[in-house]
Amino acid sequence: MAANSLASSAQLASSASQLDGVPHHLETSLVFAGSALAQAAGVLLRLPQEIIAQAIVIFARVWVGSEGASLKEHSAKHVSAACLYLAAKLSAHSRLPRAVLNVYAFLDALPPTSLFDDAAALDDPGPKAYYLTEGDYHARRSLMMKLEAIVLRILGFNTHVALPYTLCINYLQAVEAFAQPQGSAVAKRAFAHLNSSLMNPQRLYLTHQPHSLATAAIYLAAREVGLKLPGDEWWEVFDTDREELGFLVVAMISMGGFVEQEKRRWEKSRPPLTVDQLDRELERLGAMDDGE
Amino acid sequence: MSSRWANSAADAAADAARKKEKEEKKRARLEKQRLLEARQQQRQGHGDYDEAHDGRQPPAKRRRLSDATDGGSAGAPRKLLRFAAPGWAPCRSVDGFEKLNDIEEGSYGWVSRAREAATGEVVALKKLKMGSEAGGGAAEGFPVTALREIQALKEARHRHVVELREVVVGSSLNDVFLVMEFLEHDLRTLQEDMAEPFMPSEIKTLLLQLASAVEFLHDHWILHRDLKTSNILMNNRGVIKLADFGMARYTSSPPPPNLTQLVVTLWYRAPELLLGATTYDASIDMWSVGCIFGELLTREPLLQGKNEVSQLSAIFGLSGVPTETSWPTFRRLPHARALRLPARPAHPRPPDARALVRARFPALSAAGAALLAALLSLDPAARPSAADVRAHPYFREDPRPKSEAMFPTFPSKAGQEKRRRRETPEAPRRGAGAGLGGLGGLGGNGAVDFSGIFGGGAGREDGGKGWGLKMV
Repeated sequence: MAANSLASSAQLASSASQLDGVPHHLETSLVFAGSALAQAAGVLLRLPQEIIAQAIVIFARVWVGSEGASLKEHSAKHVSAACLYLAAKLSAHSRLPRAVLNVYAFLDALPPTSLFDDAAALDDPGPKAYYLTEGDYHARRSLMMKLEAIVLRILGFNTHVALPYTLCINYLQAVEAFAQPQGSAVAKRAFAHLNSSLMNPQRLYLTHQPHSLATAAIYLAAREVGLKLPGDEWWEVFDTDREELGFLVVAMISMGGFVEQEKRRWEKSRPPLTVDQLDRELERLGAMDDGE
Repeated sequence: MSSRWANSAADAAADAARKKEKEEKKRARLEKQRLLEARQQQRQGHGDYDEAHDGRQPPAKRRRLSDATDGGSAGAPRKLLRFAAPGWAPCRSVDGFEKLNDIEEGSYGWVSRAREAATGEVVALKKLKMGSEAGGGAAEGFPVTALREIQALKEARHRHVVELREVVVGSSLNDVFLVMEFLEHDLRTLQEDMAEPFMPSEIKTLLLQLASAVEFLHDHWILHRDLKTSNILMNNRGVIKLADFGMARYTSSPPPPNLTQLVVTLWYRAPELLLGATTYDASIDMWSVGCIFGELLTREPLLQGKNEVSQLSAIFGLSGVPTETSWPTFRRLPHARALRLPARPAHPRPPDARALVRARFPALSAAGAALLAALLSLDPAARPSAADVRAHPYFREDPRPKSEAMFPTFPSKAGQEKRRRRETPEAPRRGAGAGLGGLGGLGGNGAVDFSGIFGGGAGREDGGKGWGLKMV
């Protein structure tokens, strides 16, 4: 199936976290941080990008709507691990619970900025920093299994995620991009846009079908690299209209600014990815409001 | 770029009008491009996303619904493909269903008949078996087989595949139920209670339905891997539907390596699986279709082995002992070395599969025997695809396939009473020991002797009873 389930407008209008008093900006920030964590963990687990992408889309689906999960109830970090484990299990590249939990413990031991850098390039904090005792391991494993079951229930077992990557290559071939010297550069840029769109605060993968995402990524990448595309409304051939294309391109362009903003926001402290940390952060924010 | 999309999108009648619109659109696009560039420059200048972005109206989150009209500014009503996006919602509770009676216990769960309180509709409710903590099942979390079954059933919407309506849950995280349409019979139980086997015209209809379902699955890259009569459900209107996708998985071309050979219930398992193949394709399902064909003809499962070895000898008894010509690649299979086959066949020309099939099913027409023999080819590559089966001349000769509406009805066991536990073996469990090696271990060096199958020339007339297996 080439199509995805999309979030309904009611699901996009509210979320369980907001109903529980988590401000929208903080929710956006934490969902982004949880996705970035899944991406970093997926790379360390040597999972193919498709599976990481599926995990991030599942992770994003979990939080939308009043019937979704609430950040006040479930820790974003642990849900992120459960989604990655689930996506890997459904594929031909399943990973052991221990491997997933070890990688998350390792990422925990890295400095806060690691979320925005290449985790593998950072200094190794030493095995002591991320060693999981047997007791911790069992506790975390059963938590991960519980969250996996909860994720499945929230999604109504809708675990199918269609991705735009292969469509993107097909479309580039269809417009004969690879006949031009910049073809592969465009493909790389387009893939980069598709990857970063996974974490886009506008939740592009929950609101748009893969064919539109692929078309928009190609449009943007071609403009950046300077590849000439056919003069006609070529995007209509790929069933994307101008309006949707324009929206997606703007959203993709905005991603860079969003990440910069997030980077500044979590420069000194770690994003509160567990329920306890979130409670403390909400207290702090409340105190700041009172102080003003 | 007067290329293919220009041609494909071209509509001869509206050509002139479109040209004008194109000019307009071009202008609009240039303007938009300028806007985009201007914004980009602005942002680069400020180095601040927020300012650049908030300078104008934030882009509205917009999602086009499938029935929305094309309301773009330049408004050329071109038909673009719109996917119906189903969305998702949390699982409903099982409390909305009222259990009527148990139907059966399968390898992956308990099935019962239930009524949905809100609508009064009767459904089949399948409670999934979760791995127990002690059995190590919980170590992997939600059973992957159940996830695969749900995914496959969600995608395989077909007239002859049982419909998964939804997944409902109980209060405990371990209570997960599949809500499926209820069908009155399964072919195994039904045949056990029938006075006469299905008529040839009925068999043709059933086979065509089965083949269409299998073709659909294979076209969607799904291997069922547990086709058997007890997994084929039938209603009282002559329609059969495939069920139990607990063994199903996605495949690819070329097939993925390292698939488990421990699939398919023993009596329906293809010889390459028995010989330990770990790379296989849709042809294993076609072997099972052949077994089901044979079973429909006689009401008895075609090949009833007690274990892997006796299953193999039953297969060789029906389809002949593999030779370099009948199955060129079989020597490369992991367990083939353990087989001891006659070096030179006792017969000058060993009986071929078709002759053996004809001898066993004398009432079957030549075309029918050819189809059955082809399905039961030892060489996987020689088996017909599901599409080939549907196009086979067997279905065009008299008697023609019977219309579904003309099928007789039968009293439903599933609807009225608890079923007897069947004595058919179950699909293999994951993680169980595989292959002939374990059995051969009894004999010391693990060789299994099949040389006797056609050895004396007397075996064949006895219909496969006159010979035994020797462990060497």
